[in-house]
Amino acid sequence: MTADIMFAPASFALGHADTERRAPKVPMDEAHFEAFYRKIAGGVWSYIYRLTGDPALADDLLQKTFFRFLRSNPAVANDDHMRRYIYKTATNLAFDHFREAKRERGRPIDLPPSELRADRGELRHDMMRVFSELKPQERALLWLAHVEGSSHEEIAESLGVKAKSVKVMLFRARKRLGEMLTKKGLAP
Amino acid sequence: MIESCPFEPNVIDAAASGQWTESLRAHAASCPDCAAAAEVGPWMVSFAKQDDREHILPDPAVLWLKAKLLQSSAAVDRAALPITRVQIAAYLIIAAGWAALLTWKWNALAAWVTALNPGRLAEGATGAGGATTLSMTVLVTLVLLASATVMVAFHAILAEE
Repeated sequence: MTADIMFAPASFALGHADTERRAPKVPMDEAHFEAFYRKIAGGVWSYIYRLTGDPALADDLLQKTFFRFLRSNPAVANDDHMRRYIYKTATNLAFDHFREAKRERGRPIDLPPSELRADRGELRHDMMRVFSELKPQERALLWLAHVEGSSHEEIAESLGVKAKSVKVMLFRARKRLGEMLTKKGLAP
Repeated sequence: MIESCPFEPNVIDAAASGQWTESLRAHAASCPDCAAAAEVGPWMVSFAKQDDREHILPDPAVLWLKAKLLQSSAAVDRAALPITRVQIAAYLIIAAGWAALLTWKWNALAAWVTALNPGRLAEGATGAGGATTLSMTVLVTLVLLASATVMVAFHAILAEE
């Protein structure tokens, strides 16, 4: 066994197709991980940052996301499957953070974090402020649908909700954002 | 089941790029989901374009190494689990052994310990007083329990180090 191959046997079933299930799993080595990470990490960081509004927390959760990914004994698989797993994990970690913060403070997280108030760019500040007024789940829905281009099924998988609920939830989130943009005079 | 509109991805793309076809625009006007997507789509795109990352992301090599170390540490913990269980069982057996012995032979042991002073030993040596002795069974049990206690204690100390 080479030093590079650290996870064997691969138990992380990322593939869904029958052919993928039957194919022998190749454990992910460092080179594969690095290539995958460089491709996806920037987008995942932006996603976590838009959910949490805190760059330091986004760094922390990004690392935890990839630690969890590596701990799951990933096999070299379709990038799309691994990407879904990463976004699902990142979403879970961010929502766990919100739940924990809510429990500690005894109130919902509805205020923008201090970083947002101290932000330098006025436009960025306004946009982030508007976005942070949405519920965490609405932020995740909108980001995944409009920025990541995820399908309703992929969004459902990431958020741990039923696929048929996504349509309604996404419609409400869009309506809410639209109303906020109109109210604040930021509508395009 | 509530089906999503098949044109929604096209509407999202068109709203992002600003390149609409007449038919798609007509559809978006009549479909509530697509109308909502078209309404917020351009804003979401410009929001996503705001570059918030002013620092470098964690190095993948460092993440890999940390994960490897955590994996090794977890493997060591897993491997050590049976040893830890045996150690705990040994503590319990020895403690139970001492409790049983002390309960069973308390009077004999108390008398024997009391006799372990220079005056009483001298009396015993000269034959002036009755020497207090333990039966062979109790003595062997005592020695075995004491040895086991010392061994387990040493093992615990050495394992810590």
